[in-house]
Amino acid sequence: MDALHAKLDALERSSGARALAVAVYDTDTHASFRRDADRWFHAASTIKVAILLGVYASIHHGWLLPHSRVHVRNRFFSAADGSTFRVLADRDGNSELYAAIGKTMRVDQLALHMIATSSNLATNLLLDLVGLETVQRTLDELHVDGIDVTRGVEDERAFEHGIINRVTADGLVQLLRLVAEERAFSPELSHEMLEILHAQEFKRGIPARLPGAVRVAHKTGEISTIAHDAGVVYPPDRKPYVIAVLTEWSPEATGRSATIAEVSHEVFELLTHHDNSGHDNGAENG
Amino acid sequence: MADSQRFPLRIVDGLRLDKPLRDALMPARIVLDEAGRERMLPRFFYEIQSWTQATEIRLAPGFALAEFIQTDVREAAPLRGFPRYIPCAITMMALCLERFREVVGTFVHIAANGGYRSPRHAAGTTASPHSWGTAVNIYRIGDVYLDSRDAVERYAALARQELPSVWTRPYGTHRGQTTDHLHLDFGYVVSTPREAPERHLEFDVERRAS
Repeated sequence: MDALHAKLDALERSSGARALAVAVYDTDTHASFRRDADRWFHAASTIKVAILLGVYASIHHGWLLPHSRVHVRNRFFSAADGSTFRVLADRDGNSELYAAIGKTMRVDQLALHMIATSSNLATNLLLDLVGLETVQRTLDELHVDGIDVTRGVEDERAFEHGIINRVTADGLVQLLRLVAEERAFSPELSHEMLEILHAQEFKRGIPARLPGAVRVAHKTGEISTIAHDAGVVYPPDRKPYVIAVLTEWSPEATGRSATIAEVSHEVFELLTHHDNSGHDNGAENG
Repeated sequence: MADSQRFPLRIVDGLRLDKPLRDALMPARIVLDEAGRERMLPRFFYEIQSWTQATEIRLAPGFALAEFIQTDVREAAPLRGFPRYIPCAITMMALCLERFREVVGTFVHIAANGGYRSPRHAAGTTASPHSWGTAVNIYRIGDVYLDSRDAVERYAALARQELPSVWTRPYGTHRGQTTDHLHLDFGYVVSTPREAPERHLEFDVERRAS
């Protein structure tokens, strides 16, 4: 494990990242790895995993059904002062959702768009539906520390007032462990959330340098100075491990996804090398 | 009138519906509008048996009944299934909209939650004409989405010019204003068709007798 720490130290220096935080939990060996895992970052789109959890909490409690219909409307209220704002279509990249404005879509369709294509419109619709309190209360009830959900996405007014969604690598791993270990409400609902996370279309981070047979259920997040990826990695013939890689950069920096992919590759090599060789990988027991 | 020419929907007295429906529809109940004035909700409703029926029945040449009843999960649970109930004034609303459609010369699209919604709909905090079936939110006219000041105000002016007594919600980001649709309403109009099972509320009958 010291070797991994050393590699990540070197990678942080060579990549030019301002910060690199990593948390790993192996459900096979119960080993864990932490590097600045309690450091807070702007969540970017990784906050959508927490909102997904809040949506499924509402389904679990019977307040919603997966096929409940939701009015698709591009008008939201700022967490700063209640003023209205819109999500810009050219920053969303999901034309299907914008074509549905004025009509309705199902909760499970919106959840898929929120994760798979990271649709900000779908995210705000779902958060508007279930409420910030439901999301944060769900995290609290499930004892997930290290995730602060304070507003929707693209809420520039809230951003100007310093209201931001924050995550730690530890927090994301705690949340994803619940889903991976089928402890998020029920095995069935956990499975549904995992299927949505498996549909992720942005694959330049955690999955990029893993063998093709490895499935990854994950969520990326990227803004001007932030690039994250967090997910559950399923190597063949082995129980999965959970990983969160959070990074901070100067606005002009390049190589963000490559850095996350490199971290993911190193972790994969460490954990699966242990499986193949029978040698202890030296990870801390969680 | 021959039976085949009759309006196909049965009229029901909301006061005689099952309690969950009465609780959701609040027939003939007094509620307060935005200005704190008392308004009486409709008592008589058309009963819609299925979504298929709602799509087949045209209230006007350009408007199917279904367009006025598309709500989402925020609607009261008893009103998300069928049979559904809609105030009888909806037929007059449709005729007014048809006139508006003729003026604009193209399709007029009513938003989800933008036709009839019950007083228990989560979108409402005070009495809204939507609960009388006398209001619509139009999000699109032809290919124009009504999400700009220019579009909303242009069509609002046209509606006020062509539809006597119509009220349009002003464009803006504050409470009581709109940024993403054109709201048209004719106020708290109640319709009691001749076929309605009871023509007068109990207290009206008592007043006439005294």
